[in-house]
Amino acid sequence: MSIMLEGLTKRYAGLPVVNNLSLEIGAGEFFVLLGSSGSGKTTVLNMIAGLTSLDQGRILLHDRDVTRLSTQDRRVGFVFQNYGLFQYMNVAENIEFGLKIRKTPRKVRRARRDELLELVGLVGLGDRMPRQLSGGQQQRVALARALALKPDVLLLDEPLGALDAKIRIDLRRSLKRIHRELGVSAILVTHDQEEAFDLADRIGVMSFGRLIEVGTPEDLYQRPQTEFVASFLGTANLLLGQATPQGVQLGTQKFPLANQEDQSASDGRVQVLFRPEDVALAPEAEALGSPALSQGRVIETGFIGTAQRLRLETQPLPNVRPISPAPAYGNRNILIDVTRPPDQARQFPLEKGDSVWIGLRSVHALSHPGLSFLLVTDGSPRSRAGVALAGQIARHAHARMTVLACERKPHALDAYLEEARKELGSGLTALEVHRSQKPIEEAVRVEIESRPLDLIILAVKRRGDMDLAEELLNLGEHHLLFVPAEQPLPRHALICLKAGEPGKDDVLFAGRLLRHLGAEATLLCVLSETENPELDEQQANRFLEGGRESLSLLGVNSDTQLSEGPALDTLLTGIRNPEVDLVVMGAPLPRPGRPATLEGVVGQLLQKTQDKAFLIVRSHYLQKPYSRQ
Amino acid sequence: MSHSGAEHRAATPAWSVWAMQGVAFAFLGVMVVIPLLVILQDGLREGLMEFWRQLNLPAARHALQLTLWTSALVAVINAVMGLLIAYVLVRYQFTGKTLLNAMVDLPLAIPTLVTGVMLVVLYGPQQPLGAWLIERFGLKVIFAPPGIVIALLFVTLPFVVRAVQPVLKELDVVQENAAATLGARRWTIFRRVVLPALRLPALSGALLSFSRAVGEFGAIVIVAGNIPMFSQTAAVYVFGEVESENRLGASVVSLALVAISFGLMNLIEWVSRRAGKGRV
Repeated sequence: MSIMLEGLTKRYAGLPVVNNLSLEIGAGEFFVLLGSSGSGKTTVLNMIAGLTSLDQGRILLHDRDVTRLSTQDRRVGFVFQNYGLFQYMNVAENIEFGLKIRKTPRKVRRARRDELLELVGLVGLGDRMPRQLSGGQQQRVALARALALKPDVLLLDEPLGALDAKIRIDLRRSLKRIHRELGVSAILVTHDQEEAFDLADRIGVMSFGRLIEVGTPEDLYQRPQTEFVASFLGTANLLLGQATPQGVQLGTQKFPLANQEDQSASDGRVQVLFRPEDVALAPEAEALGSPALSQGRVIETGFIGTAQRLRLETQPLPNVRPISPAPAYGNRNILIDVTRPPDQARQFPLEKGDSVWIGLRSVHALSHPGLSFLLVTDGSPRSRAGVALAGQIARHAHARMTVLACERKPHALDAYLEEARKELGSGLTALEVHRSQKPIEEAVRVEIESRPLDLIILAVKRRGDMDLAEELLNLGEHHLLFVPAEQPLPRHALICLKAGEPGKDDVLFAGRLLRHLGAEATLLCVLSETENPELDEQQANRFLEGGRESLSLLGVNSDTQLSEGPALDTLLTGIRNPEVDLVVMGAPLPRPGRPATLEGVVGQLLQKTQDKAFLIVRSHYLQKPYSRQ
Repeated sequence: MSHSGAEHRAATPAWSVWAMQGVAFAFLGVMVVIPLLVILQDGLREGLMEFWRQLNLPAARHALQLTLWTSALVAVINAVMGLLIAYVLVRYQFTGKTLLNAMVDLPLAIPTLVTGVMLVVLYGPQQPLGAWLIERFGLKVIFAPPGIVIALLFVTLPFVVRAVQPVLKELDVVQENAAATLGARRWTIFRRVVLPALRLPALSGALLSFSRAVGEFGAIVIVAGNIPMFSQTAAVYVFGEVESENRLGASVVSLALVAISFGLMNLIEWVSRRAGKGRV
């Protein structure tokens, strides 16, 4: 491996800008980090070059650990977006700078400089000053300068970003040729998909500091695993359908999956992707030549040079929920984007308003189901803190979020929701806003009936209301997060384990959230005479160690703590540690005849911990709650 | 800039343009040109020979020389230290940065007379520090040239810092980072990449502080006393001659000071024009 990154993490003001990123890049590979601005991709490059320090992780270049080395000793070539040429040196001096510092003889220097000028196509311009060159030429000089020392790796930070479209394509071609000729391992950072597809051997898609997926351009486009990558690259039609052993059911029709083998025979709901070019259109269902989805209507047409672009609308299909394109507000119809080559557009012309049959040539199921959050608010100050926290978690977790506003006069609520929508808007995979005049319990029940939820974030005045909490827990299998009035993004969680039970679910879900937040955890287990008389210290330690292992597999750092004493007091002491800003406790799932209850330690702790975030994780394993004290 | 400005201005009646220009010229004439002409006339009224003789009086000559070498020394020290302070202020983040930045301007706000008093209180022979310096190094600060240099350093501190700071701010860190990836150490980066861009602004700041130092009176008259042939600077000499009613001597040395300032002004103008061109 020529570049190895292990668990790189960087935080600014507590927020992880690069979050536990690991990556291996082969010798001679051209790797592209693709992401929108602020996704942390440039920070990764700066960390490899030693221009930014890292909080955690390790960097190896050609098996040499350079994590602690200074920039000067790392032997990386770096090309910056804004060229960074030395303004008071001419082109030749710029290129020779690194060689001169290493006291290379003048003759060798000149030979190398001429060789490089030829490589980047600037022969004869050695005497020019940087300001006498065009942007494209300046970037060529910067490239030559970076290559002068024959670096181990070449790092390119949006090298084409500041250039005009035409020059960009020219330089892209040169870059490809030069990389092929030299065979140097390279990482290029860009937000331009076309550039990434054209240059990359492999692409890594980044978002909010995390590497979401890595693969060849074709893999990522045709067979993405996550909703984020599916909709980030190109145009995606995404529907939530029903998985079956034969493939996937969308409405009445079953579609075979392109990736049937890795569909782990799950019988649940599955996200289905088909690209605009995979849609077949015909006047009759029989003429489609592929399984028909339904009949639809053309609502938009356009021309994009190489193809015709159409947007269609179909009636809602049973058990199918559209994800992308996002359905129009207050409209349940499914939208589908289609592109057709010009010859097809000529053979079967379509106008706005025309009716047409829609078939799917190829569908792909995403292996990652994606999380679904519900944020319950009432416009109180606490709900404002909740919006900020929930937004952060949902962004990092790429969760779909629904904001449910309850118990407020419609007028006040509208203004508040407008504000919340603005704050949440950027970077969320999907955001819906619902409002209800009903009491919270009722409103949440309606939401849960329409779809399964993974997490309910409760940011309302009635936080201390145990009846409400119990009722919400009894509505389904979701986890429940209580938000305090003021909440910074959690950095350190206290996971309270009830020893003797496997506790696997609490640890795993908490670990997933913590990973998204870049937070750490302390696993706390209480040895108590009254709680677990049969448990001995050795067992408890093994149990804690297992939890730590599971967390570290998720990339979350944690330590363990074993305390003796009455459960309530011991846990309270742990919670009152000022470092802790999130408390995680397990609670059993409701069972027929045995509703969930917050009597006992969990409820008492919840009532006594109003100033910290409190997450109740539902566990299949947890048979009984902490007993009453 | 004046060109394009004139071209794009809306038409104004000719008489109002003349009126405005007339007022501007009259004001400049009354406030600047006439006093300058008067001192020129007064200094030369006894003829060039007498002018030369007055200039070459031992006390006058010594005062001018003292003024020139202390000011030159101060300009050089300022160039180095000003660069350093500006670099620290622009390139590093630390607590108290805002305070330090504000402190740089403080010397401009403090009356120079007060500066003199402060230095006497600090370095006076009866004060602990002053006494220690005399005893340990035999260095007399107050009522001696070192006091002049320290006073001048105090009052001219901001000039180089404020000349370099904006240029340094504009100077892309990317160039420094690029040099680092090419193996250049910190000092090499500063010398080969940063300094070339700062040379002219630093020079223009140093010349400004030189010209300010040549004319300084308030701080020096307190710190240096008025010892002819030892610690009397040109400005203090002029003051002494006025006091002792030797108007000619005062005018002659004043004229010399005006000539130095005028020459420096032109030099500074030229340097900043070149600095401006270099950065485009």
